[in-house]
Amino acid sequence: MLEWQPGSLYDNIDKFASSLGYENAGVAITLGMIPWESIDDRDAFIETITGDTPKGGNFTNYNSQY
Amino acid sequence: MAENRGGPNGGPQYNPANISAAGGAGQSGKQPSRYISGMPYGQGQQLMQQQKSAPMSAPKMGAVSRGEYSEPMSKLRTLLDDTTNPLEPQSTGINFGRGADSSIMPQNLVSDSRPLENQEIVKKYLPAFANAAKSPNAPDSFKGFVNYLVGKINA
Repeated sequence: MLEWQPGSLYDNIDKFASSLGYENAGVAITLGMIPWESIDDRDAFIETITGDTPKGGNFTNYNSQY
Repeated sequence: MAENRGGPNGGPQYNPANISAAGGAGQSGKQPSRYISGMPYGQGQQLMQQQKSAPMSAPKMGAVSRGEYSEPMSKLRTLLDDTTNPLEPQSTGINFGRGADSSIMPQNLVSDSRPLENQEIVKKYLPAFANAAKSPNAPDSFKGFVNYLVGKINA
C-alpha cells in the first residue's frame, strides 16, 4: 500500500490541486510532477502564484491513521 | 639649405591594410558614383551625372549598435528564477492568484482549452490517483480531488 510522504508526487498534486482549485486539474497535475528541490521551494512557488499559503493535506493528515 | 620637397608622412593612406569596407566611399561620407552599363545609349552617362550632382550618403558602417542585430542567447530561465518584472504578479492573466485575470489577455489567447487538456491528463493519470487515494493516510483533500476528477470523467 502506498505510504503518503510529504514532497512526494501525490503530495505535490494534492497541494497544487487544493491551492489552485480542482477545476485547474491539468495545471495542478503538471506542476505537481515537477521535481521540486524541496517542500519549501514548492510551497514558496504556490504562495507566489496564489498569494496564499498552500492548501491541502498537512502533517496531521499524513499521520492521522497511525 | 635643404629643400623641403615633401614626401611620405606616414599617414593612413600609406598603410596597405587601410581598406575601407565601403569601397571608395570610406572617407568621403558619400557613396561613389558608379557607371551602370547595359542601358540605352546616353542614359548611362546621364545617370552618372545625376549621381555626381546628388551623391547619396554612405551607409553607416560600424555605427550599428550591437543590440540592433543580435544578442548572444541568454541563459534559459526556469520557474524558480526571480521574475524579470517584479511589479507584475506571476499569476497575472490567469484566473487565480494575484494580478489581473484572463480578461486582460488578447482575445486570441483566451480560448479556454483547459477542459480538453484536463480530460486528457485526468484520463491518463486517474487510475494511479485512485490507487493513491486508497492509501490509508491519504489526506481528505486528495480524496476530494480524485472524487472531483471521477465526477468530471463520468459527467
